[in-house]
Amino acid sequence: MEEGQIFGLVGPNGSGKTTTLKLLLGLVFPTSGSGEIFGHPLGSLSYKERIGFVPEGPYFYDHLNAVELLRFYGSLFGMSGTELEDRIEYLLKLVGMWSRRERKTLHYSRGMLQRIGLAQGLINDPDLLLADEPTSGLDPIGAIQIREVLMQLRDEGKTIFLCSHLLKEMESLCDSVAILNKGVVCRQGSMEELLTAENGNYVATFRNLDQDSVQRLQSVAERVDSEGEQYMAAFHDQQSAAAAAKEMVDKGAQLVEIVPQRLTLEEVFIDAVGGIPE
Amino acid sequence: MSAIWRIAKATFHEALRRRFLNGILVFAILIIGSSWAFTYLQPGAELKMLIDIGLGAIRFFGMLIAIFVGVRLIPDELEKQTIHTLLAKPVTRAQFLLGKFFGGVATVITNVALMGLAFVIVYTIKAPQFREMSPEEGPTISMEFMAPNILKAIGLTCFELLVLTAIAVVASAIFSWVLASIFSFFIYFVGQMADFLRELASPEHGADTASSIVFGVLYRILPHFEIFDIRESILKDNFVPWSLLGNVTGQAIIYVVIILMIGYLVFNEREV
Repeated sequence: MEEGQIFGLVGPNGSGKTTTLKLLLGLVFPTSGSGEIFGHPLGSLSYKERIGFVPEGPYFYDHLNAVELLRFYGSLFGMSGTELEDRIEYLLKLVGMWSRRERKTLHYSRGMLQRIGLAQGLINDPDLLLADEPTSGLDPIGAIQIREVLMQLRDEGKTIFLCSHLLKEMESLCDSVAILNKGVVCRQGSMEELLTAENGNYVATFRNLDQDSVQRLQSVAERVDSEGEQYMAAFHDQQSAAAAAKEMVDKGAQLVEIVPQRLTLEEVFIDAVGGIPE
Repeated sequence: MSAIWRIAKATFHEALRRRFLNGILVFAILIIGSSWAFTYLQPGAELKMLIDIGLGAIRFFGMLIAIFVGVRLIPDELEKQTIHTLLAKPVTRAQFLLGKFFGGVATVITNVALMGLAFVIVYTIKAPQFREMSPEEGPTISMEFMAPNILKAIGLTCFELLVLTAIAVVASAIFSWVLASIFSFFIYFVGQMADFLRELASPEHGADTASSIVFGVLYRILPHFEIFDIRESILKDNFVPWSLLGNVTGQAIIYVVIILMIGYLVFNEREV
């Protein structure tokens, strides 16, 4: 993982995302292999001062209200006094729970618990935040707010490890991604690398093509789609796209753009896990 | 130390809110209060009944509270997954285990204290009528050491339940809470019959080699809960020496330390 980035771990249900998180937190133990966080072996207490954890569907001691809960978790880091109280106020405002801080967590909705879950994960101002489905159970506005918080944290230089199967959300949030399937990382890289078609497909878009040019384009391109006046031609590589573009321009066509074909994370994911099972 | 204290405090507040606990406590206090009602008995028998029912109820209901609270402390954390957020913080498993244990013990002792208070109130109201009895009403009852002995008995019950809570908490870290409850009840009831186990292990009482080994081992490893019961000394108004209290509480503490160490060794390897 790169420092200061949002790293996403995606995978189908049962692929091992939560187990990976538990390994990182020392809640379960590896049957083989090893890992390190900030140079310390997994499970060590040494790095826990510097990490935060946001569980999926969190449940907390329900006799406590939001402030008491954060005070409890903060005290486990040795925080107290004004430092802790200021941090609690900042976090509750950050996750939109300040106005409901006096209510016992027993009466919180799932979305509210999720917000408090994020706040408790940030109580120690961690360098690394590990989050399991942080927007699960949130309404669309809540999900946007949490995503904004995560992006703000990245801008502040924090490193974030996200587990989720919400691929669109991961695509918009993450700088790099690993796709996990049956406990094995089957694809990993920066979002740019992963979403750029593996075979290097490029798409050239033209306007003002006459019928001959369209026929010519169909004979040299992998595929030609049209949308109004525009023709989009897909090529295996950049050179073929450039050559075809030059030919079309010479024939009087207008070249709009040549761009690498961009896949969605969903397409990459389905390809990586071997398609949609029947 | 701070983490243990924080977890114990949260555990205590969480445990006190359990409805079944309040139910047991109210029922226990009603039973203790009902010992007031045995006025139709001879004064000596009435006092015996008062002591037997009062202190017996504290021990019995204290045992129920210790087991039911103890066996749920860790499984609840596992089921609700609150343990994940706790162990993701700079908290060791030993601190977690000790925090849960001390929180459970605080709950049990608070309940014993409330039951004890109810009994002391009943005793304080009833005692003068036995003390000031005229010879026509019956034989004189010696009550010189009774009041301090009652306090000592309540104190010993706390130590007895300390051992039982440790057993329940550690059993629940190893087994399911249902199995842990059965295990804890079994240990408690067998531990009440330590002398009987010794007899079963004795070749003089006809034990064969295998029985002698099995019952001998059980006699040595199980806690002897009957040593915490001093009701007989109270009724005879014998002074309960501080050396006896020191010996019994010392045994209880050593036992608790050993149980918690076993619990830590198991829990430290457990995936949560």
